[in-house]
Amino acid sequence: MRIAPSLAVSFLVVGVFIGGHAVVRPGLHAQSASPSVNPAAPPAWVNQESNWAANKEKLQAFGDRFATSEAMYEALKQQARGGKPLTWSQMAQPAYDWSGVYSRSKLSLHFDSDLPNTSGPVSARLTPAGQAIVKAKADQLARTGGEYDPISDCRPPGVPRWFTEPFLHEFIVTPNQTWLINEMVNDVRRVYTDGRTHTPEDDAYPSWNGDTVGFWDGDVLVTHTTHLMKGQYQRGVQPNYSEKTTVVERWHKVNPKTLQADVWVFDPINLVKPWYTRQSWTQLTNDDKQLRIRYWDCRENSNNNIVVREDGTSQFPDFTFVPNDAAVSNDPAVKKAQEPRGTPAPAARPAQR
Amino acid sequence: MGQSLLKTSMIAIVLTAAAVPALAHHSGTMFDDKKEVTLTGVVKEFQYSDPHSWLLVDVKGEDGKVTTWGFEAEGPSSLTRAGIRFKDFMPGTVITITGHPMKDGRPAATWMKATRESDKKEFVPAAGFVIR
Repeated sequence: MRIAPSLAVSFLVVGVFIGGHAVVRPGLHAQSASPSVNPAAPPAWVNQESNWAANKEKLQAFGDRFATSEAMYEALKQQARGGKPLTWSQMAQPAYDWSGVYSRSKLSLHFDSDLPNTSGPVSARLTPAGQAIVKAKADQLARTGGEYDPISDCRPPGVPRWFTEPFLHEFIVTPNQTWLINEMVNDVRRVYTDGRTHTPEDDAYPSWNGDTVGFWDGDVLVTHTTHLMKGQYQRGVQPNYSEKTTVVERWHKVNPKTLQADVWVFDPINLVKPWYTRQSWTQLTNDDKQLRIRYWDCRENSNNNIVVREDGTSQFPDFTFVPNDAAVSNDPAVKKAQEPRGTPAPAARPAQR
Repeated sequence: MGQSLLKTSMIAIVLTAAAVPALAHHSGTMFDDKKEVTLTGVVKEFQYSDPHSWLLVDVKGEDGKVTTWGFEAEGPSSLTRAGIRFKDFMPGTVITITGHPMKDGRPAATWMKATRESDKKEFVPAAGFVIR
């Protein structure tokens, strides 16, 4: 599918609500009523409005034009003439002020948040290998009524599952790096926008959030992520992704309360074509400023320990239900090691005569 | 209403689709979401912890034996969003609490709703995922 000619024109305006009144400031793309586009160029930012289903197809089709994420990222970079580095003075502009505490806009845990939790991966075009994994999951759920989630042992979700997690988020833009923060397990994705390239292949290794570089195309942050770990998009009958997965994203503040990202996942093992989704986060009301992100110690309470059973489902081992300080560990040696240094030792027994 | 057990009830209910994600750190399949248990007892401890919090409640049975039940909910930030503070459930607080019990009969459940007897205030952890 070709990109509709109408998608390229954008206006550099943003409506910022101050005291209930919309104020127009330069900085953010807004969708025109009937924009146009050069079919060879990437689409401008498309707002998620009533014609979203059709526009979503166009964004999916744009990704389909590329055999690899590298090709797509380079095309976007070429279109942006390499991008333009941000300056500190721009940080005060609404388009780059992503401060606040956010949560995923839709409560669905589905990777494609347009779909309900219980939906299969209907918007992903899976290879036979990818289909077989989904079928195996469906069979497991039908047989046992349960499953084991790999993050139950406190490992991080990893990209691209990262997009689905429902907890608090913060997004910090600076000229040289943007931090995409999920409170869960203190999870930070660093996007380097200082012009550096990916880690050289000889030094690169797989990690949960991979290696991400990016550039700014006006007020749209374009990123490319490589060297990821394999994982699953979420629980239920959602697909898996392989260690060959790479991701292209375009991030944009669409209004004072909403951040969104176009995400194209490339995975030659599980996907025939890149899986396009629109991810969205809404800034939470925090007038009293009491909502804040704190350190997430995933192992602080042993009552949250989970084991996998022979049938592939989850279960708690024995509960302790003991006072919380002791719940960190019931091993006397560990508890002793956790005591602050200098804690007096128990009184020595009197010597026998 | 005294501190001793008032009532224990197991009520089968029709399974409805959850409006919010529950127990995001682990699958909730060890709980029976077709059943509810409602208990009245005394808070033993509120483990306000990540990734999940546990409200421990001492419940006295008809035979006088006290059983500690654990009610699991999301971690502190989600509870904060639901208006549930650490100090809302100090030890000794008398509550009536409803949850989906474990399938294997152990004394634990997901925390759906708790009512503090002193002021009848209700605390619903799932409210912590509502966007507002």
